[in-house]
Amino acid sequence: MKKYRTRKGDGSFIELNENELKAELEQGTSDAADRGKISPLSKEELQYLFELFTYPSKFISVEMGNEVILSYDAATLKVRRVGVSTHRIQSLQVYEKLLGADMLEFDHVDYSIKPVKPIITFEQPELEQALLVTTLPLYYGAQPNLGLYNQPDGPCPNPGELYAAGKISEAQDSQEKAVEYAVSDMVQVGSEMYESGADGINFDTTGAAGDTDFLATLKAVEILRKKFPDMCIEVGMAGEFILGMHGGLSYDDVRLAGLYPHKQIELAQKAGVSIFGPVCNTKTDRSIPWNSARAVTYIKECVKNSKIPIHANMGMGVGGLPMVDHPPTDVVSRASKAMVEITRLDGL
Amino acid sequence: MGKEELFKQAMDAIISSDLKKAEEIAKKAIGEGIDPMELMSRGFRVGITRIGDLFERGEMFLPELIRSAEVMKSVSELIISALPEESREKSGVVLIGTVQGDIHDIGKILVASLLKANGFEVHDVGHDVSVETFIEKAQELNVDIIGSSALLTTTMKYQKDLEGELKRRDLRDRFKTMVGGAPVTQRWADRIGADAYGEDATDAVRRAFELLGKS
Repeated sequence: MKKYRTRKGDGSFIELNENELKAELEQGTSDAADRGKISPLSKEELQYLFELFTYPSKFISVEMGNEVILSYDAATLKVRRVGVSTHRIQSLQVYEKLLGADMLEFDHVDYSIKPVKPIITFEQPELEQALLVTTLPLYYGAQPNLGLYNQPDGPCPNPGELYAAGKISEAQDSQEKAVEYAVSDMVQVGSEMYESGADGINFDTTGAAGDTDFLATLKAVEILRKKFPDMCIEVGMAGEFILGMHGGLSYDDVRLAGLYPHKQIELAQKAGVSIFGPVCNTKTDRSIPWNSARAVTYIKECVKNSKIPIHANMGMGVGGLPMVDHPPTDVVSRASKAMVEITRLDGL
Repeated sequence: MGKEELFKQAMDAIISSDLKKAEEIAKKAIGEGIDPMELMSRGFRVGITRIGDLFERGEMFLPELIRSAEVMKSVSELIISALPEESREKSGVVLIGTVQGDIHDIGKILVASLLKANGFEVHDVGHDVSVETFIEKAQELNVDIIGSSALLTTTMKYQKDLEGELKRRDLRDRFKTMVGGAPVTQRWADRIGADAYGEDATDAVRRAFELLGKS
């Protein structure tokens, strides 16, 4: 039987025959449906994915007319991260003028709200300069990164150490305190950068420290929305479900721990988020067809539940793409086309 | 009550973090002459594995996991004390830490908790741990496994450095090494020569047992 070349979630090449490929796609969508308690992809959608992964070209794309918004989070870091020595503003110009970006984000190398706060007066004039030489919508972006509020980096007792010592309620109290600090910082940084001219604020990698991280973000968004009704606020996620590091936190009477993208979006909308960036994690020991089918299943349900634009994360280890620094174009183009044409989302 | 029912109750006691119930079952089983190790492997350990799976699916959260791990630890001590002295054996000794330059330790804490719950003696050396410290502590504590975690692509290289330094000091065969962390893969583990890679906390426990020939 003919073999089709694809990859595993760790980026290595594998070959699958027709039956194996179909089985991977079916198992991928079933896994998402089972975990998220949502519908799997239909037979037609699975057939469509099968055709994408058996198409002989290395690079494929969406049909004309199906193009979506393309944005880059942490854009000012990524050019320099690969060793290209550019200023942050030049990086933005590269993305805008050479890489076809539709939306961009200006950010600091620490990429977290807390360390930005004391240097905000240095960030504001840089952002203003960036705005003068770019034309596309420009966010200011950073992660809530609640971990930075814990000792030794912050004022709150370290919940990891408290949990390890069996001090569960103390660990939870500490996390609740961290939420208060983070909300205050997120509102301050968000307000000041918006008032400096940013077209919006992007709270990226939200939920990285679990339910506390997501709660802080929702609360900050709610305050910012009241303060600036026209402000564009994007929230990008860190993982496919909210880790229950506290376990008992809720927003609008909904327990946050364990929420999958189609439930996360409901709360994001209530808080006042303008654009939502869901995530599906890649399993590195499974194939890209398995991972792509799984990611599309989650995001499709999220789009279905959403009244606001959805810009799914597609990159290293998310969106069905391999966990490698530079995800290869063969699988990036297939997983992206699948994401756009099956889920009908608004951007990547 | 039949043996199978007792095993199921043991599993349920761990899942519901019920220390009193778990101890009652352990005492009852020992009193009835049931093999303590069978009770452990077919009852309590099934429960803690299930906890790990539920956590990995977002259906159980850290406080519950910690509580269940504590129950598991207590009941393990009870069962070990019922074994003849010559067969009282720990699952293994593990040194675990997050590598130099990396302060992320949520995943590492989860792995440490589940390893402890599965009878391993775990020494958590924290985060931002230098290669030097990993090796010194491993020697000092005479561990079986050195587990290193890295969340960043920029810090993964210290896992490779650890392998190299162990070789340079002629210590590589003395310890088994395990790697984990968000950007880490089996491919990376193979490339740097680590003995095992854990995809998540449950997988890490499985791999640790395999490494020590106790799966």
